[in-house]
Amino acid sequence: MPLRLAILLIALFAVVSLLSLAASYAVTQSSFEQTIRADLRQDLAGFRAAPNARAVALLIEAESREADPQRLILSYISPSGRIYGNGAISRDDEGFHIVSFDRNRAEFAGEYLSLTDTLYGGVITIARSRAEILALRKVFVNILLISLLPTVLIALSGGLILARRSKRHVEVVGAALDRMTSGDLAARVTPGKRWSDDLVQIGDKLNQMAGAQEAQMRAVRGVSSDIAHDLRTPLQRVALYLEDLRGQLPAQGDAAALADRMQGEVDGMTRVFQSLLQLAQVEAGSPRARFMPVDLGDVCRAVADVFDADAAERNQRISLSLPETPAMLKGDRALLGQMVSNLVENALRHTPHGSEITLKLVQNGHQIALTVADNGPGIPADERDKVLERLYRLDRSRNTPGHGLGLSLVAAVAELHEAKLELADNDPGLRVTVRFGG
Amino acid sequence: MKLLIVEDDTTTGNYIARGLREEGHAVDLMRTGKEGLIAATSNSYDVLVLDRMLPEIDGLTMLKTLRGAGNTTPVLLLTALGDVEDRIEGLHAGADDYLAKPFAFGELSARVTALARRPQALEAETVLRAGNLEMNLLSRSVTRGGVQIDLLPREFALLEHLLRRKGRVQTRTMLLESVWDIGFDPGTNVVETHISRLRAKVDKPFDRELIETVRGAGYRIAT
Repeated sequence: MPLRLAILLIALFAVVSLLSLAASYAVTQSSFEQTIRADLRQDLAGFRAAPNARAVALLIEAESREADPQRLILSYISPSGRIYGNGAISRDDEGFHIVSFDRNRAEFAGEYLSLTDTLYGGVITIARSRAEILALRKVFVNILLISLLPTVLIALSGGLILARRSKRHVEVVGAALDRMTSGDLAARVTPGKRWSDDLVQIGDKLNQMAGAQEAQMRAVRGVSSDIAHDLRTPLQRVALYLEDLRGQLPAQGDAAALADRMQGEVDGMTRVFQSLLQLAQVEAGSPRARFMPVDLGDVCRAVADVFDADAAERNQRISLSLPETPAMLKGDRALLGQMVSNLVENALRHTPHGSEITLKLVQNGHQIALTVADNGPGIPADERDKVLERLYRLDRSRNTPGHGLGLSLVAAVAELHEAKLELADNDPGLRVTVRFGG
Repeated sequence: MKLLIVEDDTTTGNYIARGLREEGHAVDLMRTGKEGLIAATSNSYDVLVLDRMLPEIDGLTMLKTLRGAGNTTPVLLLTALGDVEDRIEGLHAGADDYLAKPFAFGELSARVTALARRPQALEAETVLRAGNLEMNLLSRSVTRGGVQIDLLPREFALLEHLLRRKGRVQTRTMLLESVWDIGFDPGTNVVETHISRLRAKVDKPFDRELIETVRGAGYRIAT
């Protein structure tokens, strides 16, 4: 767009310059022409002053001798048919004419303006050179070449450079917008030193907008952790009352069973709050400063061990495939453990009895790929992004235990560790891959 | 033991205090950081239990002030749920252990007791004993009454942890943290499963039970 504008402006400028040059040329040329005509008329008037044809012939002869044929040609054809003067130009018709001579005629060459008239039965023709007008044309062409062409060239290249620069700047703004559209509200436009004021203003406005949106998102997220915080004290009291109550009940019996179930529910609530708060914390991104070297293989072994008994109860199997050397990366061990744990727990919970869950680690240089795959029902392609949102649950999962926060935490922990999270079809089943260091 | 609890929520504070008194401890209960600081500096306690959030002077500031004054009494910090940041900040400020709310009383009691008698980390023991059970840490073998017992690595680690803290209750979360190195509760019955496997190998074939269950709290090796 800016390039097209630049070219248009240059074209306009060139046309206007050409027109004004042409106009001034036309005016100057016509004034030269007028002068020549006036001179010719005056010359003719001089010859008319002679009393007869004989006198005209004598005057022509005399003046031709003085005149430079390059500038002035005089000729008179007497009534008897004799030709006088320094050049035999004659016209049948009277009036002004432009006459050209070949360059190879020595005495006179180039263009002349001639005036022909009849005088005492003869024909008189006076011609004056138009060389000055031709010279004038040359001058104007030179002006065109020397001034206009370089101006256009400079304007064109300058315009191109400006256009390309502004295109680059617009692309910077565009890239920031693209990132914002794809959900990265932390994206900002960073104006360069040479940016034009209007673009800087647009960038500032965009940044303000993204900032406001980010703050809103934070507020929405904050609500869930605020609620969890505020419910902390009452939940603590309930847990203690319940424990006290359970202690006063006999070890067996309906009341005791009820109290046990209530304690189980309180534990469940605690876990939901825990997940919400942890999610808020991980998304805030602060723990990165405390990253330590972690052996992801070790984490996987611990998690597989922790879930082994649960899996066995449902006739499910967790198969572990780890590299022989430690898979070291810098991270938060507790969060990585929670991530692997959530993935395995998800796989166990959403697959039927007898399914197999694979926990695999592949190391390639600095890159580590963690894969948790199952052969259960999988997740439809169009819902794979949504399951990463907090509290989102597939319709068919409504009746299985869980709170829809597991995968959100996985996504948040992956992002904190600058890892890529991929959900793919395991054909059949779901395959979740987390790529570190890529 | 003489304990100081600083907790602003009256209900929670009273419950903890009552429970700990029932276990035979002398308990002082304070409601604000200021009161707590005065009590902690004018008396000598075995363990301090501090809530992270307190009116007037908050738990962390109180802890830093105490440590700055050269007070080395073990401190158990009660933090918000899952607040990793708080926990780490607390440990940096000089807390010896933390407990996330809501907690079970058994967990609190077990941790308080554990703090009062921290295990000597550099104890260069090579053989751990309980009754007629012997664990050799060098050969990584376990015998009871001269009978060889084969344990899987995780079972060995679990038994070692309990043996090193003989007589002291170890809660589920404490075991998950030190045996599995997992800082969160995955909500599985992994601890129970391993304890029952361990019992099947260590206790079942013999007349006396070494691994005891403490209701609502955890497990311990009988002394």
